[in-house]
Amino acid sequence: MSLISALANVHHQGQFGDFEDKKGDDLLKISEKKNLLIVQIVQFKNSNIPIESIDIDGLKLKDTPLNVSFNDNTRILWNGPKNWLLVSSKKDLINDISSTCKEIDFAITDLSHSRAVIDIEGNYLIEVLKKGSPFNFDELKKNNSINSLYNNIAFTVDLLNDKPFKVRLFTLRSFGESLYHSITDASLEFGYENK
Amino acid sequence: MLHIKCPHCGMRSQNEFSYGGDATVKRPELGKEISDQDWDNFVYNRKSLRGKHWELWQHLSGCRQWIKVQRDTATHEIFKTLKANEEIS
Repeated sequence: MSLISALANVHHQGQFGDFEDKKGDDLLKISEKKNLLIVQIVQFKNSNIPIESIDIDGLKLKDTPLNVSFNDNTRILWNGPKNWLLVSSKKDLINDISSTCKEIDFAITDLSHSRAVIDIEGNYLIEVLKKGSPFNFDELKKNNSINSLYNNIAFTVDLLNDKPFKVRLFTLRSFGESLYHSITDASLEFGYENK
Repeated sequence: MLHIKCPHCGMRSQNEFSYGGDATVKRPELGKEISDQDWDNFVYNRKSLRGKHWELWQHLSGCRQWIKVQRDTATHEIFKTLKANEEIS
């Protein structure tokens, strides 16, 4: 079975917009992230299991707003009270999650094929995000994540790095091309390179 | 632009929220005889108050939680926000 990525029809390699004479981090780099395991973990309201006892790939679930627990392969994003989004390059981690988080306490949903994932890196990244989102990105720190809107498209932002800025954006797969269009349109002013 | 302080996520734009009606309406108790008038009042009849008012909002594009917001319907000033399970004092 061949897999078609969410942005396969729109994401093409090359340099676009005002890219001339721009080097290094001054040029935005946009890429589609594929083959990630994306799992939504929700603890039921009537569950009494202390979340500190849950260990997934060496990471704890933390019910703290904006918090991201992370290691080299896996990031667990706080999505809401008792609600997390796990993103990992280890595809077989789903088995660990299913065995660690019992069905009676947690709802586990594999969203790997229902999200479009865009990685963006560069100095002007925050300016691009500010153009379409009402969130105050000056408040967002490294390894924080938020849910918000970009041109009225619901998306999740995970700030991977702040020197230079690097974010990972998640949106529903069906909204992926629209979000991609909005992001690249906003990036033209600064120039961007598709990888 | 109106900003609402979500008790879970912090200060966010109103664009991320969805209005959910009057937060002071109480559902008639289960197992009790309810008159048609009481049901009417619960389901349909609402006051359109001018001034401070408790409302339900959902942080639809954020943490997706329902919250209570005390807002002045004339000036749009927001005084207080609570989690859905917190009682209005």
